[in-house]
Amino acid sequence: MFLARIGGTVVAAVKHPTLGGCRFLLAQRLEADGSAAVEPIVVVDWLGAASGSTVMVSTDGDIARTRLGNTTPARMVVAGIVDSVQTPATVRQE
Amino acid sequence: MRLGIVRGHVILNPAVPAYRGKTLVVLEPVTMENLRARNGLGGGKSLVAIDELGAAKGQMVAFTEGREAANPFWPSAVPVDAYCSLIVDSINVQS
Repeated sequence: MFLARIGGTVVAAVKHPTLGGCRFLLAQRLEADGSAAVEPIVVVDWLGAASGSTVMVSTDGDIARTRLGNTTPARMVVAGIVDSVQTPATVRQE
Repeated sequence: MRLGIVRGHVILNPAVPAYRGKTLVVLEPVTMENLRARNGLGGGKSLVAIDELGAAKGQMVAFTEGREAANPFWPSAVPVDAYCSLIVDSINVQS
């Protein structure tokens, strides 16, 4: 699991059959200092995360398998939308 | 899933039986900088993935890595650790 910032939306007509109807978002993994990873990722979202919001992404395929069946290749799923991140030094409101 | 641009196809001969009839593509992962620039460049370390969607050279796909890449072949156990899950039509990148 890790934190990521939503950076846009992804449209795909051709996809694995289990992914029909899924919402795909572009995201960037966040480091502890708030900087973003070099390579973006595509995540499946059922919670309605908005562009610019910080989310927690689960990389375990179980959330996707539960919803989409055992044959789904979906793995990275928005598991929650972040309210705030508390570290010893700071409380970062999103 | 990460994003990758299809750079070519791989033909194996011989290969382990699990790959029989499967299409292998060479992917170049895309960095955020190149995605924003829409310059057709990747920038990441290339890898090979299974493709069942018929992605053409130059197209961008999102690919799954790890154990979940083998899920489409469930319940068969296959040596697949990267799988093209979707072909990207468009990406709306927020500035």
